[in-house]
Parts: sequence; C-alpha cells; structure tokens
Amino acid sequence: MGNALAMEWAKLRPLHKTSRTVLLSIVLAVTVSALVALAMASSAARMTVTDRQTFDSIGISLQGVNAAVLAIAAFGVLCMTREYSTGMIAVTFLAQPGRLRVLAAKLLTHATVAAIAGACACAAAFAVGQALLDTKGLAVSWSASRLPWALLGGVAYLVLLCIWGVALGALFRTSAAAITWMASLLVVAPVIVQILPADIVLRVERWLPAQIGTTAMSAHPNPHMFAPWTGLALLAGYVALTLIGGAWRMVRTDP
Amino acid sequence: MIEVRRLTKRYGPNTVVNDLTFRVDPGSVTGFLGPNGSGKTTTARMILGLTDADNGHATINGRRYRELRRPLKEIGALINPGAVVPSRTAIEHLRWLAAANGIDRKRPGEVLGMVGLESVGGRRVGGFSLGMKQRLGIAAALIGDPPVLLFDEPINGLDPEGIRWIRIFMQGLAAQGRTVFVSSHLMSEMALTATQLVVIGQGRLIAAESIDQFTERAKSSVRVRSPQLDELARAFATEGASLWRSDDSLEVVGISIEQIGAIASKVGAVLYELSPQRASLEEAFMRLTAEACDYIPMARGA
Repeated sequence: MGNALAMEWAKLRPLHKTSRTVLLSIVLAVTVSALVALAMASSAARMTVTDRQTFDSIGISLQGVNAAVLAIAAFGVLCMTREYSTGMIAVTFLAQPGRLRVLAAKLLTHATVAAIAGACACAAAFAVGQALLDTKGLAVSWSASRLPWALLGGVAYLVLLCIWGVALGALFRTSAAAITWMASLLVVAPVIVQILPADIVLRVERWLPAQIGTTAMSAHPNPHMFAPWTGLALLAGYVALTLIGGAWRMVRTDP
Repeated sequence: MIEVRRLTKRYGPNTVVNDLTFRVDPGSVTGFLGPNGSGKTTTARMILGLTDADNGHATINGRRYRELRRPLKEIGALINPGAVVPSRTAIEHLRWLAAANGIDRKRPGEVLGMVGLESVGGRRVGGFSLGMKQRLGIAAALIGDPPVLLFDEPINGLDPEGIRWIRIFMQGLAAQGRTVFVSSHLMSEMALTATQLVVIGQGRLIAAESIDQFTERAKSSVRVRSPQLDELARAFATEGASLWRSDDSLEVVGISIEQIGAIASKVGAVLYELSPQRASLEEAFMRLTAEACDYIPMARGA
C-alpha cells in the first residue's frame, strides 16, 4: 500500500493541476459566499427583529461551499477519467497490479487534498462572508457554538463529494459521463424537484445531496431536512454504493 | 523468461487466442509475429495481467504478473505509447512510475538519457511526436532495470531512423542477457531484429523456433494437388511434416519432395501436381499466417 500511495502522491505532485483545483475551490467558495452575504447585507434594513434572531449567519457565509463542491468533485472524477481516457490506467496497473489497492490509494490521496482544500475554502468563505455581514451587524463571533460543527460539516461534505467523484469516475471512465451525472445530482436534481407539488418537495428535497450539504453547514436546524450528521451519513451511503459499483467495474472490466 | 501455457481468450463467439503455448528465453530478441488481429496484443495483455485469460496462464520468471510485488523490477512493458497524461512532463511521468515501485529517484533521469530524451525531460508529453512517445514508453519500460522486456509493436509509426535506433537498442538489451519479446506484424523487420520467433495466426501457434529454422522451413515447401488430400495429409503428418491446406492443394514443409512422392505411392494416391515452391520470407509468412485456420498441427517433436 505504501508504494501505491507514493505513486498517487507523485502523480499529484506536479502541483500546477492540484493547486489550481485547490485555488479554484477557494475562489469559488469565497466569491459566492461574498455575493450571498452582500445580498443579505443589502436587505438588512428591511429585516424585522425575529428575522434577525433566526438569521442563519453561519449558513449564509458558507453558501459558497456549494460552488466549491463542483471543483472538488471534478477533481475526484478526473483522477480516474484522465487515466482511463488516455489509457494510462494500464500503465498504472502495470506498476501496481492490485486494482483495489490503486483505488484505495487514489481515494486516500484525493480525499486528503480535498480535506485541506475544503478546510481552506470553508474558513475563507466564512471569514469573507462574516466581514460583509458584520457591516450590518449580522455577523456571529468565531466562538459561536455551532460554528465548528458547521465548518466540519462543510469539509465533510466536500470530502464526500470528492470521493463520490472518484467513484463515478471509476464507474463511468469518461469525464463527460461522470461529470454529467455529478452535475445532474448536484445542480439539476434540486431544480427539477422544485417543479413538484409543494408537499412532495418537502418530502423529497431532504434526500438530495446538495440539500444535505447545505443543512450540514447551517446553524439552524431545518425541520424538513435530515439532521446534519444524519444527512451526511446518508450521503456517505450514496457514495459507498457508487464506490462499490466503481470498484466492481475496475476489477471486472479490462482497462 | 516468459512462459505461456495453453493460453486461451474468447470474446463472445470469437476465440482470439487459442491454446497458445511457448517460451521466451533470455539473451536474445524474440519476435512475436502475426498479422494484425491475430491475437498478439491480447496475448501481451494477458502476460501483463491487463486481461484475464479464459484458460491457461502466463508467467514471468515463474510467477504470474499479478503476483509480482514490484512488477516494474521484473518486467518492463511498452504497450501503448500514447498512454500518458498529456499535461505531464516526461520526467514527471517517469517519477510517478519510479515511486510506484520504490525505485531510486535518480533512475528517471538515467532512463531518459538512455533513450536520448534528456533534453526534453521537462517538456509536456502532449507536445511529443509519436517517435518521442515511443522512446518515453521504452524509458518507462526500463525504469526498474528489469530482466524481461515486452514491447508491443514498438516500431509502429516510426521513421526509418527511429526504427533503426529501436532495433539496435533491443539487440543491445538482449546482449546484456535480458529477455526481449517484441511483437510486430512485419516479417521483414523481425528478420533484421530477432533471432528467435514465435509466429501466430488467428490466435494459434504456427511456429516457435529460431529465425533460421523458420526461414528454412517457410521458404521451401512442396505443393501437392490430389483428389485424396485427406489421406495424404494424415500420412504426411505422421512423417513429421507441417501442412497448410487450401481448397484443392496442400503445402508440405519439413519432408523432401522425394519422400512425398514415395508416401503418395505407398498410400496409393493419385497426384495431379507435385511441385517445389519458392517464396520470399515475407510471402511465406503471409501465406502461413493467412492460411492458419486450415493449419494442421505439427506432429514433429510433439
């Protein structure tokens, strides 16, 4: 396993690609969080006292993580599809014949990068979002009791989706198919669900990955959603199922 | 040493590799010959553990590929020179390979030098010509300094200078005592490069012998036409001849024209034609492999 990990690290080490992903996820997180925070701040004057009491300052500042997730998931997808599309996966298997060992090494290395990138993205998004909200007195302090959980939830969400990306990449082998599926689940599914009748929306929405992520980063529990960690456990279940499929295809179908 | 035993691979109704058995010994370049689509690449992929065999197995120095702990130190392979992520530089590509098998960090630079790419090690592979990619593929095969090398169609798409370079390079590797197994569909090229041959056609073994033996056998044959071809074929086979059969004639190799006449007389067969055939090596190879489906296995030595 040590050599397999060394191999995957050495593939990631030419940092231009990896650091670009990390940077992109941070930039996306900060930009979107800033925009959402600005929008909130501009409407602060119209907020009532109750509005202010129930205002989810942490969740709003972490909105950008929902954008960063796309970059991180694509990072996971590409680590598989880049090799399958060029045929380099065969060279990887020549060096490390154990298919599952290669998969495990890819998961570990990419999840680690995703965790670091995710931690930076969450912290940066929160800091910028709070700075903007602070101008209207909507900020919370860094010692807010829910904050560590929300940040941790955001990082966990990003890491899970990176792993999901790797799994989808192993399952579909082409970037187009894997990224289409990923985007459908993250971006298209929530839009489609909104078309459904309102009572069904409330029942269905909580199962969506994007909603699970948003809930995990929110400071105020939403009765229509799963509890943050229940949701993340459910998401981990989705990821595990996909991973089983991907691993099965990796072992059974020739590269 | 590479050993292939009763290797068989089927894709649906097609048997791509059919009960293949041969051995590749160290110290010489062994050519793996067969027309396009004859099962060379599938065989190579089975040796390398990239494709599972339906039957039989292949071993490298006595062990199957997937059992090798640090495979790059046991066998180096060039299978598809385009199989490199284009955004990586040549040296980066070799570095991850070295890391994958715990190979010395200086080695990537060394092998780049061996294939004459040291000056472009920092360039992205996406901009490489096919010839440069082939050289990089060979450098990758050499990364673990393996005693066994397997090159699948290494001269495809190369210019004459590149072909000459690869030929001399492979012979040099064999002279160092390594096992060099190189596939090609060009008989003429193998005649210059290899000293041993494994010839297959439609997935079956046609010959596994020295190139001199093959040349001798393949170049001179005797054509026999007769209404009793089946009887004759059986009789020739028991005398140790190799036979290639077409609709109305039999190509006989390995016994003299005089013996053939005597056997025909003993069997009591009517002969319409009994004529010696001379062909160039290339023609002989084409004929042998094209008619491999009608090939009757050699009795000789078996």
